[in-house]
Amino acid sequence: MNSSLEKQLNLLDYALASLWRRKLKNLGVMGVFAAVICLIASFQFLTASLTATAEELLAEAPEIVVQKMSAGRQEALPLGYLSRLEGLHGVRGAVPRIWGYYFNETTGANYTVLAVDPARMPGNSRLLQGIEGSLPAGEGEAVLGSGVAADLELAGRSAFSLFRPDLSLKPFAVTGVFRPGTELLTADLLFTTPAEARDLFAIPDGLVTDLCIYVANPAEIGTVAKKIAALLPDTRVVTRPQISQTYRVIFGWRSGMASICLLAALAAFVILAWDKASGLSVEERREIAILKVLGWQTGDILLLRCWEGLVVAGLAWLIGCTAAWLHVFLLEGALFKPMLLGWSVVRPELHLLPAVTGGDLLLVFALSVVPYLAATVIPAWRAAIIPPDSAVR
Amino acid sequence: MDTREEMIVLDAVSKVYNRGRANEVVALREVSLTVAAGEMVCLRGASGSGKSTLLSIIGCIFPPTSGRAIIAGKPLSRLPDRFLTVHRRGHIGFIFQQFNVLPELSVLDNVTLPLLPLGIGPTERRRRGGELLARLAIDHRANFPAGQISGGELQRVAIARALVNDPPIILADEPTAHLDSRLSLEFLEIMSGLKGAGKTIVIASHDQLVTECPALDRTFDVRDGRIDVS
Repeated sequence: MNSSLEKQLNLLDYALASLWRRKLKNLGVMGVFAAVICLIASFQFLTASLTATAEELLAEAPEIVVQKMSAGRQEALPLGYLSRLEGLHGVRGAVPRIWGYYFNETTGANYTVLAVDPARMPGNSRLLQGIEGSLPAGEGEAVLGSGVAADLELAGRSAFSLFRPDLSLKPFAVTGVFRPGTELLTADLLFTTPAEARDLFAIPDGLVTDLCIYVANPAEIGTVAKKIAALLPDTRVVTRPQISQTYRVIFGWRSGMASICLLAALAAFVILAWDKASGLSVEERREIAILKVLGWQTGDILLLRCWEGLVVAGLAWLIGCTAAWLHVFLLEGALFKPMLLGWSVVRPELHLLPAVTGGDLLLVFALSVVPYLAATVIPAWRAAIIPPDSAVR
Repeated sequence: MDTREEMIVLDAVSKVYNRGRANEVVALREVSLTVAAGEMVCLRGASGSGKSTLLSIIGCIFPPTSGRAIIAGKPLSRLPDRFLTVHRRGHIGFIFQQFNVLPELSVLDNVTLPLLPLGIGPTERRRRGGELLARLAIDHRANFPAGQISGGELQRVAIARALVNDPPIILADEPTAHLDSRLSLEFLEIMSGLKGAGKTIVIASHDQLVTECPALDRTFDVRDGRIDVS
């Protein structure tokens, strides 16, 4: 084997033995460092995961949504607007939609109520393909997501009731449930016909909450949106890329703010690492002096110290990132999810998609391991230049 | 006339610590001595007489402030630290007063410490260390932590470590200060054997057992940084 490589292996071997000899001190440093890295990585992973989850959810969303605005607020949109859009060049289909949230006061859960005419939905809709049972068609019929079904505690029953705004009961019959594996899209969903949704929310005939526009060529989403905005000036035209960008900005901004707070903790740790690395014990100084008398160069001692730093920081990074992964994807980012999603109680739970890239890992590495190594190199050099004669005296 | 190669040549060597400062100390004053290859000499002197400084210059730990020092054929004056280190590890073996072993490391690991930065692999290190430990009859302690063996065994570990690079010069600083007379004699016996094997040996000591050792070729008296030959 090449002697330079052998020398590095020898120094690494000695560094590991040296760390093990001072295991309590080094395990303590590594533990604190891993905890700081875990917090930073959790934010990074959670942000990446929420963005990926949002992208996944948005994949099912229409390319363009048209909402009527009045005095800066959204209001119900007349169905008559539909006929003005149908002949527009580039529009593949326009589907009226009623959707909203139903808050179940008994259980404290929010359901998403969605109503469209299944016959007008695009053929490749994952929503419609994921139903076990039959689509709602008749009076009071609905398909439930697994979270809603569990929340209503149906236990084999197929009937339940919800309250209309006037507190009269609106009965429903379950015609199907969404298949397992579609929870991401459907866990909190109650899917029914426009007529039933209108009845539940007391929305007058001829009005819907918005229009879903499907575009023939996805590259033309922006152009078609501009045409719609020009055609219907009292509406808000929201495109899928805009929503996606908004999610990115919101998650990125919140994550960035939190990361800045955590970087203060990291800075404190780096200062501690500097202090630890510069304050050599009598035994450590003696050991360095002995090694130098025995023929170790200053560079060899510096390399040894760098290996020690790299092992501590590298292991802390590995442990921190693994713990962050477990925290985010097994515990659903319990510590930070409210901060990134907002504090409102929205149930059923959103399940995060594991979405960690090499870039995320590198970013955490650059924010943690690199400052630690930088903070320990100068003290390491100061340790390495101890005059060897102190071992002789 | 001795025709052997001159292994250590010091010519008007002085060493001043903290030069030009209020705490300036002159440790050596124009010391001159020559030691031939295969000689065994003793530096005798009281504590603070300059023995350790002299040993440090011979051991290439630092160069003299003035004068000429040639160790194993290499002039030391104005030699940068890294060249001193390279020269030291190739030509000098140190035995310290308190042996200076690392107590948590095994006996074998202590012995092979000088080989690590040379890029010598573990198999070769074990072979060389094992051979030396066997020669010094402590191979049965090879895997013991150095902190758990007796003083006499520690002394032999220190000797083995000094020999692991096969240096031509062995320096020992007060090697018997912490040993009883039996172990001191044992140490001198090993040194005599090394002298017989051609090693140049310099022992700094004020222990009578050492200074009167019949294997010594010469004894230098070190007093107030000056030297007398006896």
